[in-house]
Amino acid sequence: MKFITKTGLKALVTGLIRDYKVYGTVKKDGFPAYGEITDAKQLVLLQTPTHLSAKGFVFPERETLLRFNMEDGSHKPVVEAADQVIIGLHACDIHAMLLMDRVFAYGAPDANYLARRAKTLVIGTDCMPDEHCFCQSIGTMHATEGFDLFLHQTKNGFAIDVGTKRGAAILRKYTKAVTAAASEIRNMEAFEKKRAGSFKTRLDAPAAALPAIYARSDASPVWDRIGSICYGCGSCNNVCPTCYCFDVRDEPAANLKQGERVRVWDACTLEEFALVAGGHNFRKPRGARLRHRFNRKFRYLTDVFNAPFCVGCGRCIRTCLVNINIAEVTNELIAEDAKRGIIDETVRTKKAER
Amino acid sequence: MTKTPQTVPATNTAPAPQQTGPASPYLPTEALVTRAAKLTEKERLFALALLNGQNPNHTQYPVAVESTRPSGIAPNAGSTLNYLPGQFYMVGLPGYGEAPFSVASPLGASEGLELCIRAVGNLTNAIHRVPKGGRLWIRGPFGTGFDAASMKGRDVVFIAGGIGIVPMRSLIKTIVGNPGYGRLSLIYGTKSPDDLLFSGEMTEWSKAGLRAFVTIDKPAKGWSGNVGVVTTLMAKLDIDPVRTTAVIIGPPVMYKFVIMNLRKAGMRDEDILVSLERRMKCGLGKCGHCQINGVYACQCGPVFKLSDLHGLPEAL
Repeated sequence: MKFITKTGLKALVTGLIRDYKVYGTVKKDGFPAYGEITDAKQLVLLQTPTHLSAKGFVFPERETLLRFNMEDGSHKPVVEAADQVIIGLHACDIHAMLLMDRVFAYGAPDANYLARRAKTLVIGTDCMPDEHCFCQSIGTMHATEGFDLFLHQTKNGFAIDVGTKRGAAILRKYTKAVTAAASEIRNMEAFEKKRAGSFKTRLDAPAAALPAIYARSDASPVWDRIGSICYGCGSCNNVCPTCYCFDVRDEPAANLKQGERVRVWDACTLEEFALVAGGHNFRKPRGARLRHRFNRKFRYLTDVFNAPFCVGCGRCIRTCLVNINIAEVTNELIAEDAKRGIIDETVRTKKAER
Repeated sequence: MTKTPQTVPATNTAPAPQQTGPASPYLPTEALVTRAAKLTEKERLFALALLNGQNPNHTQYPVAVESTRPSGIAPNAGSTLNYLPGQFYMVGLPGYGEAPFSVASPLGASEGLELCIRAVGNLTNAIHRVPKGGRLWIRGPFGTGFDAASMKGRDVVFIAGGIGIVPMRSLIKTIVGNPGYGRLSLIYGTKSPDDLLFSGEMTEWSKAGLRAFVTIDKPAKGWSGNVGVVTTLMAKLDIDPVRTTAVIIGPPVMYKFVIMNLRKAGMRDEDILVSLERRMKCGLGKCGHCQINGVYACQCGPVFKLSDLHGLPEAL
């Protein structure tokens, strides 16, 4: 484990700004957000999550896939990616990005995402849970991969996990890192211990049990109840670091000669998401749309990728206008399921494997 | 130098675009419209050929979802026009976007890829204005198709509602007139006589051995045939449940009732095939629009065995 002082971090960030587009956590109008860092002073390493996740840096809310000419019919693929550094991702955000990496590399590899990701350096930092964080219950509380550097704030500076050769190289190039002293590591461990005891939101079942519990909960009264208060606004999808559903549409230029085929974020909680041309909507009730979103987080994608797709960041809880709380809802489903009296073999097996 | 921090990535400041890594799966192939024929007030049939023979850049992408339910049969590896009945293409026009359309022509069609397109929105109305000699841009084929060979030796019952006759035509023309199949029957229902598609061809199919029953939803002037939903004709099929494969393609509301009748006739879910329509934006198992519970219809479907849909309450 390496160590740099606070001045050392300033040197690192200043150096990175010279050679890369640098984005990091800032306070924007008093709110925690990611923003471009043009001066090391702007970086504010936050202890709690930003409102929007970091997914937009690798999966922008609008990106060009093709440029076409409507007169001669030519189409040119567009893959835009710039070298960039993102500073301040927490463990949950890093886990989320690892999941996105798997999604976009899978099947037909997504040229646009993969090019951006390859040019992105990730510098993580430690955090302290707020009332809605529940990464501890999901198992995404610590990141062991998915970052180039990971900063642990200690009394005198930062103890650093070096995740990749690229991380080691920027550390060497821009700042003076030394081997972390035992006192710094103790300091970091004390922080982590405090952190582990600070979670106020917990899931009442192990993450491995959730796919089966969700599978038995399709008919739960919970869905109608939260559906009746949901606005169907899509905010939960927008702030989620692992929501990646998208729309593809054409944007002709004003001269109606050229144009772009663009990919924009879409949201399964919006009314038209599953609407087909004949007018049939396969998930019209808001409760059905929420059930779909929650199942994607805990069951559908878990069945494919063998990992929960909720990373416990709590963003959807903080942003929801009517206080729909994915952790509370999941705990309600867990409680309902306990009444069914089903002994879940998958959980017992998974526990035994550990 | 102080700039206001931005909360969104500045995508426009990227250096000169460069092509690294895999090719874009969104790049379509140019296709020439070799025939464009009006079928009804709303539907036109297009025949397509690739401009430069086969597209050398075409890649057959692997099915993306590991936990795929075995259904229909897997996409056939090969070139752009090497499709199976039941598969679909993303068809687009620059400036108007893309949408999924089922193949209307049979396996190995000499007349090229045929698509039957109903004008319901911006894109489809623009496609309707493309004349013979014009161009469309296609990606595909995507999804699972029908394995016509596996139906050899069996009776096949085709049940189509509305525009469901389009993908059904691909399968019917693959099967009818070929040796080795048992009794072949079609029930086809539409709203009105004006909506009937391929009625001329249906006469040919009948001559080649297909029993065709046609029905319309409500009585209409000049219509002497059956009136009522497709299930009203199912008794005429006289199904032998052991040796029959049933194929259902139609509007969402149709499936439940047809399946109820087929089960009543003693058919097993393993022998009932359905093709399910969903909204689709990518065809690659990513955009999320076609998801039926956890299953991407663009990858694991659109053709499913009914028995593979158990546990997917959103399917039917």
